[in-house]
Amino acid sequence: MSINQTAPSVGLRASSGGQVVTRVPGAVETDRVRFARRRRIKDNLLRWGTPVLVLSLWQLTTALGVLDEQFWPAPASVFAKAWETIQSGLLPEHLGVTVQRLLTGYLAGAIAGVALGLIFGTVRSIRVALEPIISALYTVPKLALFPFMLLVFGLGPAPKIIMTALAVFFITCISTSAAVLGVSDAMHEPIRSFGATRMQTFRHLIVPAVLPEIFVALRLGSGTAVLVLIAIEMIQGSDGLGFVIWSSWQVFDTERMYVGIIVAALMGVIFQMGVKAIGRLLVPWKPR
Amino acid sequence: MPDKIQVHGVERVFGTGPAAVAALGPMDLNIRSGEFVCVVGPSGCGKSTLLRVIAGLIPPTAGEVTLQHEDLRTTLMSVVFQDYSIYPWKTVEDNVRLGLDIKGVGKAEAKPMIEGWLQRLGLLNFRSAYPHTLSGGMRQRVSIARAMAVEPEILLMDEPFAALDAQLRLVMQEELLALWQQDRRTVVFVTHNLDEAILLGDRVVVMSSRPGTVIEEFVVPFPRPRSTELRGTKEFAALEAEIWKMLRQEVRDMVLEQERAGA
Repeated sequence: MSINQTAPSVGLRASSGGQVVTRVPGAVETDRVRFARRRRIKDNLLRWGTPVLVLSLWQLTTALGVLDEQFWPAPASVFAKAWETIQSGLLPEHLGVTVQRLLTGYLAGAIAGVALGLIFGTVRSIRVALEPIISALYTVPKLALFPFMLLVFGLGPAPKIIMTALAVFFITCISTSAAVLGVSDAMHEPIRSFGATRMQTFRHLIVPAVLPEIFVALRLGSGTAVLVLIAIEMIQGSDGLGFVIWSSWQVFDTERMYVGIIVAALMGVIFQMGVKAIGRLLVPWKPR
Repeated sequence: MPDKIQVHGVERVFGTGPAAVAALGPMDLNIRSGEFVCVVGPSGCGKSTLLRVIAGLIPPTAGEVTLQHEDLRTTLMSVVFQDYSIYPWKTVEDNVRLGLDIKGVGKAEAKPMIEGWLQRLGLLNFRSAYPHTLSGGMRQRVSIARAMAVEPEILLMDEPFAALDAQLRLVMQEELLALWQQDRRTVVFVTHNLDEAILLGDRVVVMSSRPGTVIEEFVVPFPRPRSTELRGTKEFAALEAEIWKMLRQEVRDMVLEQERAGA
């Protein structure tokens, strides 16, 4: 009888007719500390090494002329351009405009969405009356409403802020309402058996119970809000990151275009991570 | 004085029209003040429904429940639920304080009351822990402490140990026995475990399969204070056998009905 030994922890010995199966500690189990350290080093190398490798390859291929510098400016020149736009004050100015719009619109939309969602979840008649309308509006492509907003609110910052607010409003409203309805009877019964008022039920049960789901919606909404805002800045107005990206493309300044794209991406990532961090602070009971 | 809990012709139907299911009754049951009554019956017989009707969590569709609230300064009743219905966002201490929070008792005033119950249920060292870090037995202790902290006149328990493993269940039964024997309040204890019912109860009420009605009552003759050694006695085994004889037919009927419904 011949059996291939696949792992060191399993040994097989043939004896007359049968076999003896043994299980012994493998390399990982005998030196767990070293194994953990080696894995950590390996993970970090992969985590940081991969982007560095990609950037180096990119730099190398442009330097060798494999990629056309007109479309693929080398990372080094993009960084140089970024520094230049920071020094000239162009980038801080437009980034500031976009961040301000983003935060104003996002906060307004999130607060309105959570508030209305909580009302939907608790007051049946309002939910029955309004939820179909909200659900229908949710599926309308928000960008299609932009010309209408311009007509009503003019060319100032208001239409952009409202559009950003709408991007987060619907998803938080619908998720919050669903989360409130999803709080199980088993969770409602204890507090009802103590005779809690509606406000007490809200404070001790509903709000903490739905917080985790609200933060999932807020994180999803943060991505959509950035997307909508940048897109709108591209099509109308003369400030903000979207404008920087679009106008750079129009004058074929690809380096500045890349700077705009990268800064917008970083802004989105940091924003989303910030929302997540706040969520973790407010939901300390969740196992990590 | 009238009985503490009087259940008169109580019925409960769930749903309407052709989908309506008669879950309970008509049910009659009287429970004296300070009595520990165990309700047993096949699953789905409506024993939890009965408990919820008494607790005021669901209204009866017919009949009436009358409760005597002797001292209006105390809480009439509290409930210990089957699943660990304690709140994951509250620490052990905050969970135990829930009933007092709802009553509007201030934190400072509540503190000594809470601490007494944390102590008695062995939870003092875990007071700041969140429930997800606790074992099943610990969570059910929190649930019991939460119900006891308001010092209710009536304690309603809905299969409180059903989710625990067999050994832990024995330990918790012992603890409840000791706890109750200190300050005999009125208890309605729903279970499907005969042995548990006989060990804890002054009286065991046997319910029929759905819709549940009382088919028999057994007075448990063993003197108090009891201990878990009672289980080993011949009399205990005899009583258990007698109740099981009553219940076996009901459980069979339930299984047959389910098979018919499934076919």
